[in-house]
Amino acid sequence: MNFLWENFLIQLVAFAVLFFLLQRYAFKPLFGVMEKRRQMVLEQMENAQKNRDEANQYIEEQKQALQQARKEAYDIIEQAKSTGSKQADEILAAARSEASRLKEEALRDIESEKNKAVAALKAQVSGLSVLIASKIIEKQVDEQTQQQLVEQYLQEVGNKS
Amino acid sequence: MKGVRSNKMEHLAPLLNLGGFRLDLSALFMIVLSSLVVLILCRLAVRNLSVENPGKLQNFLEWVVEFVQGIIGQAMDFKKGKPYLALGLTLILYIFVSNMLGLPIGIVTEAHDADHATFFGMHLFVTGEHEHLAFTWWKSPTADASMTMALALIVIVLSHVQGLRHNTKHYLQHYTHNPNVVFLPIHLIEIVSKPLTLGLRLFGNIFAGEVMIGVILGMGWVGIPAMLLWQGFSIFVGAIQSFVFTMLTMVYISQAIVHEESH
Repeated sequence: MNFLWENFLIQLVAFAVLFFLLQRYAFKPLFGVMEKRRQMVLEQMENAQKNRDEANQYIEEQKQALQQARKEAYDIIEQAKSTGSKQADEILAAARSEASRLKEEALRDIESEKNKAVAALKAQVSGLSVLIASKIIEKQVDEQTQQQLVEQYLQEVGNKS
Repeated sequence: MKGVRSNKMEHLAPLLNLGGFRLDLSALFMIVLSSLVVLILCRLAVRNLSVENPGKLQNFLEWVVEFVQGIIGQAMDFKKGKPYLALGLTLILYIFVSNMLGLPIGIVTEAHDADHATFFGMHLFVTGEHEHLAFTWWKSPTADASMTMALALIVIVLSHVQGLRHNTKHYLQHYTHNPNVVFLPIHLIEIVSKPLTLGLRLFGNIFAGEVMIGVILGMGWVGIPAMLLWQGFSIFVGAIQSFVFTMLTMVYISQAIVHEESH
């Protein structure tokens, strides 16, 4: 082989020309597109990350909301239970007090009726005894004794006044 | 395809003497052809550029781009090496295509004496005495030392220029301060040896491959299996050499521009 400086020169020029042509018409647009794709992928990855974070957040929120709802439901049931029992107690107590009141009233009525009856009986008995006594006295007291009695009575009245 | 008839016969380059400028027609033809192949390939690849749905050729070229990016990334920090991406791409594509072009065919014309050797009426320039003239028209551009040296020189000059521009102080200091001034001759030898090894390695590999193809052709029909093997191996060598050339380019550039404590 022999070294030809002409070939050397041709190659030099040809390579320079090839380089500039490629640079201008092939690599520049290609690099642009590759850069664009890189950006796009980056963006999409960021988006995906963001979406995932959001989804996680939503799930967390949902979980919390569910927990809250469960707790509320439990509270409501508990409250209902307690108010129910309280009401039952109240009703029971009211019924009890009503019953005792009625009983007492009845007892009082019975007592007063009894007293009345006793008083009425007493009065009747005394009236009857007076009647009986007067009947007996009517038969035994004559005019002379009666006179004596009246005078005695009058005398007593006069002494007192 | 015509084979080598005898070992004595030397294949000549078809030269035109244009007033002292010895124009090598085959070199010119092959350089232009290789460049055109690379250019057309790249133009086809970027014809329908698409961000989301790249075509097959675009994918291929992007793969090459990423491959070269990997080479640069190995040699230096990729941020610093980014401007050399286009250079690396052009080198690897051009050298690879050049290496491959010489493999499948060979075009040889023969003339019985220098007086009959013409190209469209122009006499071809023949040096020395030859019994039998055979001109090679088709060969790898990289099978010629003058052309690989041109590529190597571009790269080496570029590395020195970039070293001077971007890394002036350390670039100049490394001649005398690495580790001390005694090693200056070694650094000077390195300046010369770098382009020589870079260019001659490529030339040697490809030229040897083509010589071997010629020899196997001379074996006749018996050589067909050997030919198959050797063609396959040459494809491998061609690919490796284009890779090595690009790799070394980036290494040399990074040595010049990257400021490191030890080289």
